[in-house]
Amino acid sequence: MTAAARLALGLAALLVLGVLALEMSGSAPRSAGSDHNNPAVFAATVPGGGTVCQPIVPLPGDVARAQLLIGTYGHPVPALQLTFSGASGVVASGTRPAGGAEGTVVIPVHRASSAVASSFCLHVSGHSTVALGGEGGPIGASSELVNGVAQGGRVSLLYLRAGSESWWALLPSLDHRFGLGKASFFGDWTLPVLALLLISVWVGTFRLLLRETT
Amino acid sequence: MKNQLKRVPRAGWACFLIALVNCAIWTVVVPPFQVPDEISHFAYAQYVAQTGKLPPQQATLQYSPEEYTVLDSLFFFDTIGRPQMRGIFTSAEDRGLREALAQHPSPTGTGGTTSITNQPPLYYALAAIPYWLSPSHNILFRLQFMRLLSALLAACTVLTAFLFLRELLPRLPWAWTVGALVIAFQPTFCFLAAGVQGDNLLFFAASATFLLLLRAFRHGLTMRRGVLIGLAVVAGVLGKLTFISLLPGVLLALALLGWREIRRVRAGGAGSGTRADEQADPSQSTGIGASLRALAPIALATAIVIIPVAIYAFMNLHVWHRGGLTGGGFEVATVSPTASGGHAVTLHETLDYTWELYLPRLPFMNHAFFSSSPLTGTWLDGSIGHFGWLDYTFPAWVYTFAKYLFAALALLALVGIVRLRAALRSSLPMLACFAVMALGLLGAIGYAGIRYRLVNGAPFEQARYIFPLLVFYGLFVVLAANALPRRWAPLFGALLVMLAMAHGLFAETLTISRYYG
Repeated sequence: MTAAARLALGLAALLVLGVLALEMSGSAPRSAGSDHNNPAVFAATVPGGGTVCQPIVPLPGDVARAQLLIGTYGHPVPALQLTFSGASGVVASGTRPAGGAEGTVVIPVHRASSAVASSFCLHVSGHSTVALGGEGGPIGASSELVNGVAQGGRVSLLYLRAGSESWWALLPSLDHRFGLGKASFFGDWTLPVLALLLISVWVGTFRLLLRETT
Repeated sequence: MKNQLKRVPRAGWACFLIALVNCAIWTVVVPPFQVPDEISHFAYAQYVAQTGKLPPQQATLQYSPEEYTVLDSLFFFDTIGRPQMRGIFTSAEDRGLREALAQHPSPTGTGGTTSITNQPPLYYALAAIPYWLSPSHNILFRLQFMRLLSALLAACTVLTAFLFLRELLPRLPWAWTVGALVIAFQPTFCFLAAGVQGDNLLFFAASATFLLLLRAFRHGLTMRRGVLIGLAVVAGVLGKLTFISLLPGVLLALALLGWREIRRVRAGGAGSGTRADEQADPSQSTGIGASLRALAPIALATAIVIIPVAIYAFMNLHVWHRGGLTGGGFEVATVSPTASGGHAVTLHETLDYTWELYLPRLPFMNHAFFSSSPLTGTWLDGSIGHFGWLDYTFPAWVYTFAKYLFAALALLALVGIVRLRAALRSSLPMLACFAVMALGLLGAIGYAGIRYRLVNGAPFEQARYIFPLLVFYGLFVVLAANALPRRWAPLFGALLVMLAMAHGLFAETLTISRYYG
């Protein structure tokens, strides 16, 4: 019975680890952060040929694409030019040619320097008006400026890393992010140590189960 | 007490340690304040720690300047309820947080009203201890230390579940471990244990009450057991008002215990034979005096509950001026709003609502409150995992799979009940009292739920509200495992624990992908 139990529990543990490995191997576009505005509503209306600008928190270092929600009133999406600027000028930029249906669009972003970006501007080409997803709110220091005029809203930008990655490939970034926003004694060591602790819990439970149920 | 603790089997302590470490891991995995209502629970505890008083519940700012600062710097309000949004994601944002906290905003707030401030103070008074024991006065350090208190309470809940199953099924040692471990890895339970959350004391107090009542039923009601029952109950009542819904069942259980003691005394003390005081003095075993003495543990338990609660009520009313005997909590739960049809909520509506919360609507019920069954949508799916501020979940197929799995386990549990009927029969009167306690809880959720829904237009119920009954979740799994022949039941139980561990593991990876991925 003990051997059978050991075998059954061992196979169950292997199955779980196998599923975990498979799950972590799945490849998909991964987040690099955001400007912390949710695309909950259409928060900015920009006429064709117009520009919307907005202050942002510093641009993440690993951003390769910016995703935004756009409504075009049935027209094709016009050409879009996105520029991130800081005190020393343009930090990163990207363009998206005209075409495609309204909804979520992705603009490639190329870094020009490693300086800190403090705002972005999105130039909308063409002649038709577009609406951009974001959040409403009173006019304030972080509000959008449409053609230089402050509006009560904030445009949402979600940042993506380059290409498509598995969770394995993302592990170094996960490890770093895991130590942020917590008590300062946490850091890059935290995730690996927790993983080891979790393995210890599993091994301990495995042994306890073998001892108590056989 | 020391001897009592020594008598806990090593497996019980192992379950305790496993639960403690597992929940401690969860306290680090879940970012600060992302456990439901943690901002308010922390604010209450911080106010108690800083001022030594309870929040006066005025219409002022709810949190301390320090807490507002950290919430803002963590992008907290941009993150909750928005599954695609993240909190601090870059070193630059983290520096912003540290710089904001380096301004040393005040940790003392004004105790403004939140959804939590009308609760009794025991959990928050306990949380004030790690708050002050924290080696740093940084709010995030303190929060982490306070979270460890929740993990400790969760581990105590797992230990009491182990001991409960030992009392109920003394001849099935493997079942104690299996039942305790499925709770230790239950991800919604662990998620709550990851945060500063008063529910953790409620779960422990409820589990301890079930354990101590069962122990008194099986071994006799001694003075010490009376004291422990009183302490468990008062911890619950002063921990969270929800515990009040268990009291009718507790009273019934105490009446049962008292009746048994009197019967035993009148029969000449021929009881369990475990009570040293009676063995030392056989003359105490008959007469009215002896009967009254037999009830002394109940009187003591009652006094242990009533005196602190009366002091709390008096202080609420006359010292802290918190708007009523219970600080306004009871008044909020029992408010009678006007229903949409222009009438107050009727008893009929309340009963229909409460029934439909847990069971399919019957043809003669006039009111249809739910478009889909809360039994699966709220209670089962919520227990499988609605994490964060209810803003991220497993893929839909997980809940479908869980539905079939739990249906199968329920059938197996019925078989298990039949197979264990002899063992369970001896505790049947006390199990009936537990059923009354459970019905009290379920009824209270329904009573408060319909009123909340009519006032706020939003659902009230969350799966965690039934977690005071966690020991019965452990029992449920043990019963299901016992459906198999005796030779295979322990192994099946162990495999169910492995399934619970996998469930917990994938809940953790889901949480990591939600906040850091």
